[in-house]
Order: sequence, then structure tokens, then C-alpha cells
Amino acid sequence: MRSTFSTLWLAAFICCIEVFAQTAEDWPSYGGTPNAWRYSNLDQINSGNVNQLVAAWAFQTGVADGGFQTTPIVVDGVMYISTSWNRVFAVDAETGREIWHYFYPAPREIGIGSSPWNRGVAAAGGRIFMGTVDNHVVALDQKTGRELWNVTVEDFRQCGCNITAAPLVVKGKVITGVTGGDSAHRGYLTAFDAVTGRRLWRFWTIPGPGEPGHETWEGDSWRFGGGSTWMTGSYDADLNVVYWGVGNPAADFYGDQRHGDNLYTDSIIALDADTGNLKWHYQEVPHDVWDFDAAYECVLLDLAVRGQVRKVVLNVNKGGYAFVVDRITGEFISGWPVARNLTWIKGLDDRGRLLDRNEPQVDKSKFICPSIGGGRSWNQGTFSPRTGWFYTTGIEWCQDVTAHKEDAKEGKDFFGGVFRLRPPPDGNPGGHLDAYDPITGKKFWTYASKYPLLASVLATAGDVVFTGDPQGQFFALHAKTGEKLWDFQTGSGNRGSPITYSVKGRQYVATPSGWGSAVAGVLPQLWPETETFRGGSTLYVFALPRPPASSGSAAK
Amino acid sequence: MIAWVLLLAQSAANPAGMSAGERIFAQNCSVGYCHGIAGAAGRGPRLRGRTFEEGYLLRVTRDGIPRSAMPAWKGRLSDQEILAVVQYIVSLRDAAPGDPAPAPAAEIISTATAQAPTTQIQRGAALFFDSTRDAYCGACHALDGRGIAVGPDLTKLANETPREIVAAVEKRQPERVATAHIKDGDSFPALVVSRESGMVRLLDLTTFPPVLRTLEPAEIESIAPRAEWTHETFLKGIGPGQMADLVSYIRWIAAGDSRPVSAADTGLF
Repeated sequence: MRSTFSTLWLAAFICCIEVFAQTAEDWPSYGGTPNAWRYSNLDQINSGNVNQLVAAWAFQTGVADGGFQTTPIVVDGVMYISTSWNRVFAVDAETGREIWHYFYPAPREIGIGSSPWNRGVAAAGGRIFMGTVDNHVVALDQKTGRELWNVTVEDFRQCGCNITAAPLVVKGKVITGVTGGDSAHRGYLTAFDAVTGRRLWRFWTIPGPGEPGHETWEGDSWRFGGGSTWMTGSYDADLNVVYWGVGNPAADFYGDQRHGDNLYTDSIIALDADTGNLKWHYQEVPHDVWDFDAAYECVLLDLAVRGQVRKVVLNVNKGGYAFVVDRITGEFISGWPVARNLTWIKGLDDRGRLLDRNEPQVDKSKFICPSIGGGRSWNQGTFSPRTGWFYTTGIEWCQDVTAHKEDAKEGKDFFGGVFRLRPPPDGNPGGHLDAYDPITGKKFWTYASKYPLLASVLATAGDVVFTGDPQGQFFALHAKTGEKLWDFQTGSGNRGSPITYSVKGRQYVATPSGWGSAVAGVLPQLWPETETFRGGSTLYVFALPRPPASSGSAAK
Repeated sequence: MIAWVLLLAQSAANPAGMSAGERIFAQNCSVGYCHGIAGAAGRGPRLRGRTFEEGYLLRVTRDGIPRSAMPAWKGRLSDQEILAVVQYIVSLRDAAPGDPAPAPAAEIISTATAQAPTTQIQRGAALFFDSTRDAYCGACHALDGRGIAVGPDLTKLANETPREIVAAVEKRQPERVATAHIKDGDSFPALVVSRESGMVRLLDLTTFPPVLRTLEPAEIESIAPRAEWTHETFLKGIGPGQMADLVSYIRWIAAGDSRPVSAADTGLF
């Protein structure tokens, strides 16, 4: 009796953890769930039958500018898709039929600091939320697409910033960051009331006068120090803490006017979800002069570390290092590389500190790896609880970089230098997808790619890992071996995020296809043929073939 | 256009203009993810090793490309600078696509300065648009081609005295701001923006920044005139000296008036 009770209790406990951690029928948010695993417990499509996938439907958005970088979400059988220039489509996730669309009235004067692409919407309480190309946040009626509220976060012409990432909705708050890490701008994260749009809190990623950390900025540099929040964070409901990655300090390559650590740039920040107050921070790159943001996803994992289960947050930065940090205390646990060619530092010491910084020089070209495009781009990795492994892409490429002295002009580009991509010293440039132990970084398998892999990765309970490449191949690998099981030519490079969901008992896998983005734009410096890679903007949806309608009930 | 062609011919004969173009390109066009060093491509297209028609380059550089990342450089660069950079891009036509020369060192290019406003006016302008504050004037008032026009046009205050301007800022705004009562029980100080296609658009002034709400008439209980709304919460921490700076800026933009404004002029003592 006692043991039965324990087993049941354990089962219930596991069940609830799993429900929180994985998606099932729906794919309700950017990271799948608030812990950003990008993992689904659906297993109808699995390593044994994935090679039978066929196209179920496709959706052409008609907006090819800047690449199709979205993560679609699915709520109650309806898919919500965003495109460049902030168009949103609600689509029947079973058939691909459009239910409504919303075309945001983007201003025609979008300038150099802005990027037209959008990486996804959020849903909660009957509303769809989106950040815009001109730095607004809008709320739409989930049933009709009608605009409910619209708030200007900051004048995009003044800040040189906007919003491309999907918002994170936590307890009735729409939390969104901004771009602007390469502009003379002071970054922040803002929470808005989901019903009224009223601002509830703001966390400035650069402390102002009188605040702790302000002393890590020289003179007035804090006003223009970047610290953007350009990707989507995570949420731990038990701790009621929001985790967000903060981008690089500005100017990117020139740091002589901002001596100091430059908090909280290149940091993981842990904020009280109710107030936005800082609980702790962990800075991965003090005084960054390489543009190596820590802005990517914060993956929340409960894993054994030297025999003890720890609540950790895993963040891969643009410098090509994964940092694993205790998500209650902010204590460094481990750090490991996701790319081979990393010469900006020699490595990390056992406390996570950078060893032997190799910094750009003013007015003198220097060869440094990885390139500004990163040891990995923003496209998100995935964690599978079945293998216990973290799957992420990595990029092998370098650059000649020259820092230039530059003075800040509010809202204008503030790079402080120029770069030119170069092949790495160890041979050919390229990309790869790898399976890692998330704590130790031990690598279990590698899938090599001619070009950098710039689409997010999806893992499922069917032991399949999905992603796509710049040549348009969308493909499935075995989660345990990396063996390629299936591929499909989508016709344009993959730069978005695949998802999986289920409607009426049938599992679907969806992926955006449409080449473009800032990083895609610099690839021709190393691979001239990529200049003519075709753009596009089509969502493909795959499923297993329906069984033949021969046996009785199915035909009715 | 004829004038541009003439200028183009002049600058083509001037080798100094060419090197200026190279410098301008490095500082403005190579940066970040844009056109790369010496036009080697980035987020923007490759420019070296390609043939462009000069008039096209002039148009695009001057006016930008709408709905793209290419900005209009008119106003940011002088006509001479735009010509120089176009000449430089034209010169890249015979360059190998993938083998740019080393980047030139950046130099500061002197630009002609207009008649400078006083330091007080500059302080006022900086404060008016200081986005590092939690609330600032420019987020609701457009001035000098900047800011967002939620609230009234402040150039209408051109002929007011400093004391009258401050009084206008401090007083309640019952003739403009209404109180909206929503059927879900919420109510807020509101500016009515439009009533079109069966929808009511209201600006909710409860918090900063204001929120544009779109409501069906059936969702609205009432819109009553005369809200008790003031600028008070947004003026926290603004002392008489700073108010004087703001007033000097408003008067300068609105009427070209550069006379100093003292803290005592504001009437806040």
C-alpha cells in the first residue's frame, strides 16, 4: 500500500513536471513552453516512421522581405503566423485555411536601425500579442484579429531600436524586449498589462545614476551603451522568476569610452515576474568588445550536477560558449564551447571567467574567431528529456575586425568598427548540429553542414530532431545517433523555427521556409553563391499519410 | 536633376572627392551588417564588382528605399558628401567581388554647423527627449520633427510668456481629457482619437506611455468630459531650473526665441 502510494505520488509529480516542461497538442508559445525546451511529447511521428512524412498543406504569406523567421504557435487547433512587416495570419492548423489576417500599418520611413522581420507572436486570455518593426506592442482579438490596444514603447526614430522577438506572457503581463544593441541606446525590458496595455514595470538593462552597477560605465556611456533584449526569455512558475538574456554593449567593437564591466550587458538577468526587480545577474562577458551578446534563449533545466539535482539555466552566447548557471542563486556551474574555432578567448576558468582576451584593436585589422555572426546564431536549440541531451547548432567562421573610435549619436548606428568574414584556420567554414550533455558539454554526435545552420531545432518524444538548412532542405535526424532519417526540399532557405502539434489525433510538423536576415546577408562574404539563394515565405506542414479509408468507420 | 549631373561632373574631376567618398562609405555604409567593407555585401547588397547607373545610385542614396533598411541620407550627409560616396561606389565597379582593400581608418568629417542654440536651449532639448527617464515630454509631444504627437502641438505656445507656458503644463486639462468608463468596470483619463467604422479609438493616459485602445461602442459605458488628469506624475523630479530649460527650448523651436529663461521666470518659486 505504502509503495503504491509512493509510486502514484511520484507519477503525479513527474506528470506535472512534464506537463509544465513539454508541449502536447498545442505549441502555445515561442519556446514551446515557458522553460524554452522546444520539446514536444508527441510521438505519433517517430524515428521509425518519420521517413513516411508527406506534405499536409502549405501557407504562402506573400511577404518575402528579410526572411521568414517566425516561430508559429498553435492554440486549440488554430495556428498564428507572423511575417516581416508584422502581418499576422490565423490559420486552421488542420487544413491551412485562413481564418483572419491582420496587416500592421508599418510606417514607410523605416530606416537603418530597423529590421522588417518578426520572430513570432504570443497568445493568452483570448488575445494575440506582437512587437512591431517600429517599436510598438499590439494586442489583437484572438478570434477576429481586430486590434485591441497598441502602445508605442519608444519612438523608433529616436532610439534606433524596434521589436523582432516574440513577447513572453506571464501572469497577465506581456513582457517584451527591444533591439538596439548596435545603436546608441539604453536597453530595457518592459511588462505591459495584457488586458489594458498599461505599462506595469520596466527593467533598464543599464543601471542609471545611483543604482548598483552604474559604476561599471564610464562617464555618459551608460546612456548609449546598448544592452538590448532582442530575443525571448523564459519563466519559472515555481520561483516566479523571469529569465532573459541581455545583448552586447555599444559601441560593439570600440570600448575605450566605456571602461568597466558594463553591467548588465552580455548577462543572464533573473527578474521577479511581479515587479521586474532584479534577483540576480550573471555576466558572461564583462566589457564585451566583440559583439558577443548573451541574448539567446534561457533554457530551464532540473539536472543532476555532481550527484545533486540543481535548477539551472543554460544560455548559449554569440561568442560560442554555453553557460550553465544555478537559476536560484546565479552561481556559475559550467561552461563549454559549441564551436571549434573560438580565438577571442583561450577558454573559461573553473569559475567561468574569460581567459586571455584577444580584443580588436583601433585602426588595425585583427583576425578573430568566431565572426560577428557568432559561434551560433539566435536560432534556438532544444532539450530532450528522453535522451537528457541539449541539441544546438554551431558555426565555424572567423573575421578580420578593425575597431574605430566612434562617438555616440543617440539612436544612430554605434558599431565602432568594421569586419570582414574569413575562413577559420582549421579548414573549411561551415555549420553543424550537435548533441551535448547540457552540464559537461560532452558531445555525442555531430551533423555537419556546408553552410551555417540558421533554423531553430525541434526535438520530440518520437526521438526525432528536426531542423532545416540555407539550401532549403528541411530534415529529421535520429535523436540518439544523428543519423539522417528524412528530408524535404522546401524551395528556400530555412531561417525560422519548426514546431509540432496535433489536431484530432493527427500529429503535424510545421516549418517556415524563406531565406533572409542580417546573418544570411553576410554569408556571401565567405560563400559567394549564397548571394543568389532565393527568398521566400512559405509555411510547410507535414504529417504521416492518413490510413486508407477502407475499414468501416473511418469512411463515414 | 540637371544640377545633380553638373555636380557629379565636377566631383568626378576632383580626386580629393574620391577619397572623401571612401571615408564616408567606411563610416556610414560599411557599418554593422550593412554593405560590408568596401561594398563586400552584408545585410545590404554587395556593391563592389557591380555596375549601377549613377543617377540611380544618387536617388537611392539621397532618398533611400521605402519599406527597406536603406535610409535616406539627405539631411544626414551633405549633397557634396552624397556625391562623393556615389562616386566611390561607381569606382567599385571593376573591383573583384570578394577581395576588398583593407578598411581605411575612420576620420572625423567636419560638417557645417548651423547657428547653434544656446546651452540652455540644448539642455532643454536633451531633457525634452531624454528617453533614459521613465517619462519624458517627447514621448507625447512632437517638436522639431521629433517625438510622437499624442498631446497638443506646443508651437502654439510661441507667444506665451514662460510663466504662462508653465501654467499651461501644470493645469488640469478638462477641455481635452475625458473620462472613459468601460463596461468591464475600468475607467481611465482618455483622449478621443477617432470614431470610425463603428470603432472608438481612445488614448488611455493612465500610465506612461499612453495606450491606444480600440473599442466597440457596446464596450463603452460612457465618455464623460472633464477628467482630473494632470502632468503631475510625469513632472516628478523636474525642478524650476529644468523647467526653465524646457521652456527655453519650446520658445526657441516655436518662435526662434533664444532669450534665456530663468528659474524665477517660470513662477515656480
